[in-house]
Amino acid sequence: MIQKKICMVGVFGTGKTCLVQQFVHSRFSVKYHSTVGVKIDRKVVPVDEGEVTLLLWDLAGRDGHGDITVSYLRGAHGVLYVVDGTRRETFDQVFELRDIVEKAVGPLPSAVALNKSDLTEEWKLGKADDKALAERSWHQFTTSAKTGAGVEAAFAWIAREAVRQGSAPS
Amino acid sequence: MSVDAFGLTDTGKVRENNEDHFVIATLRKAVDLGQTSLENGLLAGRVRESAAHLFVVADGVGGHSGGELASGAAVQCLLEYVAQASGCFHDLGVDQENEFLERLEAGIHRAHERIHKELGAAGEAPSTTLTLAALIGQRTYLVHVGDSRAYYLNRGRLRQLTRDQTMGEYLLDAGAWTEETAARARTAGNLISTVGGTEMTPSIGLVDLVPGDVLLLCTDGLTKHVADPQIAEVLGKDRSASETARELMDLALAGGGSDNITVIVAKLGE
Repeated sequence: MIQKKICMVGVFGTGKTCLVQQFVHSRFSVKYHSTVGVKIDRKVVPVDEGEVTLLLWDLAGRDGHGDITVSYLRGAHGVLYVVDGTRRETFDQVFELRDIVEKAVGPLPSAVALNKSDLTEEWKLGKADDKALAERSWHQFTTSAKTGAGVEAAFAWIAREAVRQGSAPS
Repeated sequence: MSVDAFGLTDTGKVRENNEDHFVIATLRKAVDLGQTSLENGLLAGRVRESAAHLFVVADGVGGHSGGELASGAAVQCLLEYVAQASGCFHDLGVDQENEFLERLEAGIHRAHERIHKELGAAGEAPSTTLTLAALIGQRTYLVHVGDSRAYYLNRGRLRQLTRDQTMGEYLLDAGAWTEETAARARTAGNLISTVGGTEMTPSIGLVDLVPGDVLLLCTDGLTKHVADPQIAEVLGKDRSASETARELMDLALAGGGSDNITVIVAKLGE
């Protein structure tokens, strides 16, 4: 079976681990655990070509102690960037994170998950931000790891793109 | 990187049997040089570079020596499986990395099945926790089941690499318990995932280490009595792995030694 390595990248506390847990195990953790190194999960998802095993590399988020470790990105087939829609600065930093990733491993199929959409009262992003992503040809999904909204769609898209790009003639 | 590793296990002050087991192993291609016109040093150096260091701790659950059998069977089975699959330790490229992780996980599943086969059906058989770290180059691969732990110390900062698979952690995550409830509940430490048990959900991860970092694997006999700041302080001392492991063991015993205690300390040099 085809396997594709997808890296979860973002600032700490944006919900990368929760998105993976919701997608793989259909559960949500209310307690925050900072990821150390990389946590790896697997899930088989259907694509047009049949099935693909997604190897989900949940990378420790960028925090005050250091940046993301680019050696973890080696061999990735796609990246799902995660933004906390209630923390403006996590959106502002995602462009810089993409630069770091692309400098390390080149352009890859990627999308942005604007996460925590269930926290509507605290939402800090608007139409201008959607436009900023669209102008950079960046596919975006509004997600909630808590309710599951948008989660399947985001991973299904990145799976399809990773397979499509992998099978495209070079 | 050079690795100074040392392990210790102790029955503690309360239990009659030691149901913990551990392994420290180095896996490398078996090249036994007889004669050669090649420069021996270079050839030997290449072989050494591709070594993998394997560290495993396991804490048996079951009583009446069943736990001891389970942890022993799991560690032995895993070591045998990894030794058979050792070809994939070398020249670990991107594609081989995923295969390697799958093999480690498969090794744990094999141990799970062996415990069922040799010691009884799921739910009746004794079972065990198991935490494995495989260090290849600067990358440490982790496979974890239960509540034994892996930590690493980097520039004085202690980080826990594993999360306890216990009832308390599960219910805290689900929001069903508060920290206060978990601290009071007698069932908080009950394992929800063990090798040989009814449920087994291996957790897989990795971390890149650098010279100067210290890796610690331990059973809960240590962490019941020695808090993280104390662990960090001991790991941070400029001492050998054996001295460090001894000090951690002494602290756990001085703290009460209410359970079996096992520690593996691996200090990474240049």
